[in-house]
Amino acid sequence: MLHKTLIASLLGLALVGCGQQDPQAKVSAALTDGVLLPAYSSWQEADRQLAANAEAFCAGSTDLSAARQAFLGAQSAWASLQPLLVGPLAEGNRAWQIQFWPDKKNLVQRQVEALLKNKPQLSADDLSNASVVVQGLTAYEYILFDPNLDLAQPEQKARYCPLLQAIGKHQQALAAQIVGEWQAKSGMAEQLKTFPNERYADANEAIAELLRVQVSALDGLKKKLGAPMGRQSKGIAQPYQAEAWRSAGSLANQGAALASAELLWHGSNRDGIQSLLGDDQADLAKRIDAAYQDTRQRLAALDSPLGELLEDNAGRTALNELYDSLNRLHRLQESELAKALDVQIGFNAHDGD
Amino acid sequence: MQRRAFLGLSAAAASLAAAGAFGGWTLFGPSGQPLLLSARDDGDGNHYAVGYRLDGQRAFATPVNERCHDVVPHPALPMALFVGRRPSTESYLIDTRDGRLLQTLSSPAGRHFNGHAVFHKGGEWLYTTENDTTEPGRGVIGVYRLQGEQLLRDGEHSSHGVGPHQLLWMPDGETLVVANGGIRTEAESRVEMNLDAMQASLVLIRRDGSLVSQEYLADQQNSIRHLAVARDGTVVSGQQYMGDLHDQVPLLAIKRPGQPFQPFPLGETQRVAMNQYTASVAIHDELRLLALTAPRGNRFFIWDLDSAQVRLDVPLPDCAGVGAVAEGFVVTSGQGRCRLYDCRGEHIVTNALQLPAGLWDNHLRLA
Repeated sequence: MLHKTLIASLLGLALVGCGQQDPQAKVSAALTDGVLLPAYSSWQEADRQLAANAEAFCAGSTDLSAARQAFLGAQSAWASLQPLLVGPLAEGNRAWQIQFWPDKKNLVQRQVEALLKNKPQLSADDLSNASVVVQGLTAYEYILFDPNLDLAQPEQKARYCPLLQAIGKHQQALAAQIVGEWQAKSGMAEQLKTFPNERYADANEAIAELLRVQVSALDGLKKKLGAPMGRQSKGIAQPYQAEAWRSAGSLANQGAALASAELLWHGSNRDGIQSLLGDDQADLAKRIDAAYQDTRQRLAALDSPLGELLEDNAGRTALNELYDSLNRLHRLQESELAKALDVQIGFNAHDGD
Repeated sequence: MQRRAFLGLSAAAASLAAAGAFGGWTLFGPSGQPLLLSARDDGDGNHYAVGYRLDGQRAFATPVNERCHDVVPHPALPMALFVGRRPSTESYLIDTRDGRLLQTLSSPAGRHFNGHAVFHKGGEWLYTTENDTTEPGRGVIGVYRLQGEQLLRDGEHSSHGVGPHQLLWMPDGETLVVANGGIRTEAESRVEMNLDAMQASLVLIRRDGSLVSQEYLADQQNSIRHLAVARDGTVVSGQQYMGDLHDQVPLLAIKRPGQPFQPFPLGETQRVAMNQYTASVAIHDELRLLALTAPRGNRFFIWDLDSAQVRLDVPLPDCAGVGAVAEGFVVTSGQGRCRLYDCRGEHIVTNALQLPAGLWDNHLRLA
């Protein structure tokens, strides 16, 4: 008996000895390598393909359907980053250069048309100096999917191609720059792995930040669903306020973002935020697992685009149930999980004065 | 009671003399550490009025009914008013030695507090910003008189604008500078009712309520909210813009002595990073530095007050209150640990303070 106890304490000591990192630092490092860096790299690759495809499409070597495929890839990779928006891409409103949403006044259409009228021979430099409204995927989507445009017409294709190519280059360069800032010495990845650093005083701050962006992305998914459902407009559906309504990509984007949020929770190797919960918090972990599963299944069960679902009662009911499911998931993580982890996710940003 | 007050006064007066001036930075308490006063929550959403020494020692954490905003230390006595956040009708007068609640100050019928107040240098009078809910939005400067350990309503003045937010003293200690935010809200509500007809203004008024000057910014939806005043009379204001996220509007403005109120020359990188929202502003008189928290952009900034050169531009999630101390600035956060930025050398050095992390509310005061 004594012997067993002794071995157990020695084992304990040994574990403490080799576990230089506290659990928060371990999770932050594991998520950086297993979830964040891979997602940012995928996004960079998707933008590389977008730029290459724009060139190929405009040179006539691929068709419109391939162009749309490349766009959807880039859009989905960007949606996946929503719960992972810590660091460089979350700062200086660089995200605006990627997507312009909400677009209540259809600025994307107006500004794309105005820009091409002023600069028919648009260059990449012209685009860098233009408004963020026309620099990103939302403008790209307008060109490829807007019901009033038809890029199968040669003259239309000639008109819009310089902008497609410029946006492709812009997105590729932006992604390269951001990934560079992640991978640089003392860059974002290192700041999530070695503490203290100029950004985080300790690993708890990194975990708090990861949880904050995850929770705020879940809140963002509610907003992206709630706006077209008319939750801010007396229940009157607003299909054109949906994210990615032109490409009918709203629900695919929700799925991509939800998958990333869940990956942050589980980790790529059971080493995510969930692993910070103790055995006494197993019940909470189960409820969060179940909430992810519920939201995921409800989303997967929707077999029509958001715009179509908004048109009938059954569709609206299903969307309302999805919204409620997202809301439960959001609240569970925002309140119960944050509390269980003793992590503060801040309030001055959205509840200041 | 009188003896205690007298002792408190003389001790505070001695340290005031040592520091040269109050409203500046160094008021060292018994432990040689400034006392950080702030509103703070716990993880369950309960509200507290707290005081901590910068070394992490807790002086007090007094539960209060309503969420507070700014804190107003008395210029001589060990007490401070924790001002109710709008549209609260309660503020709390607290003994800063032990956290004892001396008085729950209620605003009169038809008025609510707007989160900010100041004690007159003589210590007898307190001025608050309030909203007249019988004529919603009409800005009021509430006047209270301290008798013993109780503040009593004595009267009120017009703030000469709508939705007054922060107010501070000019260096003469007799002229108030008031940020009229311009946003009309109603009783028990924070909903903006007049975004298309806002008119924010920066006003200087005398203690009798008479207007000295009133100035405006160009952008109609740019709400002037928070202030800092330098010893030479320079006033800096931080704005919150209610319009589009992509509009380019000045989020910091400055009124140098003898000059008109005008945008502070802000780099576009810094302006964009603020997400149209500034929170607390502070000035370091000795180092001539200006500091600002931008919690929506999760960013903290320091500029040279005279040259407008950026000295610091760093991420600081949910940063909240900022105040000047001898070394530089102390900053709190709703999310992470509090920081001390030592600004005395060529390079600003960051230190994480041994204070509890997160849940710190918008403003802090050092006493």
